[in-house]
Amino acid sequence: MTDRKPIYLMTPALAWLTAFMVVPCLLILALAFFQRGTYGGIVYELSLDNIAQVFDPLYGRIFLKSAGIAALAATIAVVIGYAAAYAIASMPRRHQPILLFFAVLPFWSNYLVRTYAWIVLLNREGLIVSFTRAVGLEGELPQMLYTETAVVIGLVYNYLPFVILACYAPLSRLNPEIHEASRDLGASEWTTFRRVTLPMTVPGIATGFVFVFVLSIGNFVTPALLGGGQFQMIGNLIYDQFLTSNDWPFGAALSMILIAIMMGLLTLQTFASEKASGQQRSEKVDD
Amino acid sequence: MTRPLLSLANIEKRFGELRAVNGVTLDIHENEFFALLGASGSGKTTLLRMLAGFEIPSSGSILLDGRDISQVPPNHRPVNLMFQSYALFPHMSVAQNIAYGLEMERLPRSEINQRVDEMLSTIQLAHLAERKPHQLSGGQQQRVALGRALVKRPRLLLLDEPLGALDKKLRGEMQLELKHIQNTFGITFIVVTHDQEEALVMADRIAILKDGALLQCGSPRDIYEYPIDRFAADFIGIMNFLPSRVDAGALSAADGSRISALLPGDLKSGDNVLAAVRPERLRLGAADAENCLSGQIRAMAYHGLDLHLHLDTPLSSQPLMVRLTADAAEGHPFAVGEKVTVGWSAHDTRVFTV
Ligand SMILES: Nc1ncnc2c1ncn2[C@@H]1O[C@H](COP(=O)(O)OP(=O)(O)OP(=O)(O)O)[C@@H](O)[C@H]1O
Ligand SMILES: [Mg+2]
Repeated sequence: MTDRKPIYLMTPALAWLTAFMVVPCLLILALAFFQRGTYGGIVYELSLDNIAQVFDPLYGRIFLKSAGIAALAATIAVVIGYAAAYAIASMPRRHQPILLFFAVLPFWSNYLVRTYAWIVLLNREGLIVSFTRAVGLEGELPQMLYTETAVVIGLVYNYLPFVILACYAPLSRLNPEIHEASRDLGASEWTTFRRVTLPMTVPGIATGFVFVFVLSIGNFVTPALLGGGQFQMIGNLIYDQFLTSNDWPFGAALSMILIAIMMGLLTLQTFASEKASGQQRSEKVDD
Repeated sequence: MTRPLLSLANIEKRFGELRAVNGVTLDIHENEFFALLGASGSGKTTLLRMLAGFEIPSSGSILLDGRDISQVPPNHRPVNLMFQSYALFPHMSVAQNIAYGLEMERLPRSEINQRVDEMLSTIQLAHLAERKPHQLSGGQQQRVALGRALVKRPRLLLLDEPLGALDKKLRGEMQLELKHIQNTFGITFIVVTHDQEEALVMADRIAILKDGALLQCGSPRDIYEYPIDRFAADFIGIMNFLPSRVDAGALSAADGSRISALLPGDLKSGDNVLAAVRPERLRLGAADAENCLSGQIRAMAYHGLDLHLHLDTPLSSQPLMVRLTADAAEGHPFAVGEKVTVGWSAHDTRVFTV
C-alpha cells in the first residue's frame, strides 16, 4: 500500500481548496439561479432570468470587449516576454538566474502601487509628458491616461513576469546541439528559430498567453484605475453588481460565465502542454 | 600525388589557458574512412567542431578542396556532423528530420521526397518514417541521425562517437554497416571514437590524439604493429612491457636475462628502455625461439575464441599476458600454479624509451 501514501499528503491541500474554492464557487453557482429582491437582497425563488440576462447584447458586448482587451494584452505580453526570455536564455548560464531575478522583481511589489505608478507616468502632467517637453517635442500629446491603451499597458506590464518565466523554462531546457544540428544542415539563424526553436517552445508560449488572458479578462483594478471608469470590463461589471447595485444573483451569473470561460481555457492549455511534454519525453519504444 | 580533400595546418584551439587542440597538422584524402582516436578530453570533439564550423581555430588553417573554410559559418560548409547526442528534432517525424537538410538547399519537392525515400531504405527505417524520435530505440535514432547527415551528400561527414550509445553486439554490426555505407556513397568519413578496437575495425587510417596533439597517424596495421611510443602501444590493444637496459647491442632484463630485439640505432649502452611484446606473439613451449622464458600461471581467462594466461615471471612485477588461440590451447588442461615456457622472436619485440 506504499503507493497510496502520497494521496494522504494531498489531504490538507484538498481540504483547503474545498473549503475556500469549491464551496464558494458552488454558492455562487446556486446564487445565480435565485432572484434579486426589489431593494437588494436575495429572493429564494428559482429562475433562469439572470443567466438569460448575461446573454443580453448589452452585456455580451462587454464580454467581447473584455476578451478583446485580454487577448491584445496577452499577445503583446507574449511577444515582449518571449523576446526577453530568449535573450536571457542565450546569456552565459551563470548570469541567467540574476537576469531572471530582475525580470521578475516588479512582481514582488504591490499590485496597486505598480498600477498607480502608471498613473504617475501617463497623466497629463506626468513623467512621459514632461520628458517629451524636456527633449523639445512641441505639440499636444494625445490623452494617454484613462484610455483603453492605458489599460492594455497596465495589464501587459503587470503580467509580463509570468510570460517571461513561462517562456524561459522551455527555452533554457533546449539542447544546444539541436540548434547546432539545424545550422549544420544548412539553416540560417532565422530559419533555425522559425523551424526548430519556436515550435519546440510553443507550450511555454501557450501557458504564458492563457495566464495573461485569464488574469486580464477578470481584472477590475487596472480598468478602474487606468481606464478611469470610461469603460467597463467584465470584472468591473461584476464588482458593481455585488458592491453597488446590490444585485448578487446577476453578479453570480456573470461570474459563473467568466469562471466557465477561464476553466475552459486552462483545461485546453493543460491538455495541450501535456501532449507536447509527452512528445518531448525521450522514452523509448522498441518495436 | 593528388591534392588532399582536407588539409589541416597547425590547427590550434585554446579555451583560456587550456589548449584543447594543439598544433594538429593532417591531410585527409577523398574517400578515406579516417578515425580520430584518443582518451576522454584529448580534444577529439573540439577538432571535429572546428571542421563543422562551431568553433573557430585560435590559429592554423583548414583547407577543404584547397579553400580555407576556417571562418565559414556551419550552414555554408559542404560538411555535416553527426552529433554524439544525435540531436534529432523531437517535433519532426523521421522523414521530416531527414528532409530538413534538403529543404534548406531549396531542392524541388519531388527530388526531396525521392532522396528521403532512398535514404529511409538505406537506413532500413522506411516502415517507421512517420514516427517521432522519442518513439524509436537508441539504435534506430542513431540511424536517423546518420541518414539526416548522409542525405545531404556532404564532401565530408563527421561522426562524433556514432556508436557510443549502442550495446556491444549492435556496435559490431553497425561498424560493418558504416563501412559499407561509406563505401557505397563514396563520402569521406571522419569518425571520432575512444574505442581502439572500433577504430582498427573500421578505419583506413587512424590518428591518435593525446592532450590535443597528434601522437601518431597511420594505417590500423602500422598503428597496431609499430606504435610510436609507450603511450600509443599501451593505448592500442594489450602490450606486455618488460623494463630492461641496453647492453652491448642487446637488452638485459631486470633479472639479468637477455632479450633479443631489433634495436633502434639511437640507443646507447646503459639506456633504460621498455621491451614490449603483444600477447598473441608469445608461443607456448617455444624453447627454440630467440626469446624464451618460463613462468607460473597466476590466472586464466577464457574468451571463447582464445585463452588468456597471466604468468608470473622473474622479468617484471607485472604479470605477463599470453594469448593462445583455441587451437594452440587445445589439449592443454592448464591449471593455476602450473609452470609453462613461452617464447617469441626478436622481430616481435618493440623497444620504447621510458
Ligand atoms: N567550450 C569549451 N570551453 C572550455 N573548455 C572546453 C570547451 N570545450 C572543450 N573544452 C575542453 O577541451 C578539452 C577537450 O575537450 P573535447 O570535448 O574535445 O574532448 P574529447 O576528446 O571529445 O573527449 P570525450 O571523449 O570525453 O568526448 C577538455 O579538457 C574540455 O574540458
Ligand atoms: Mg567528445
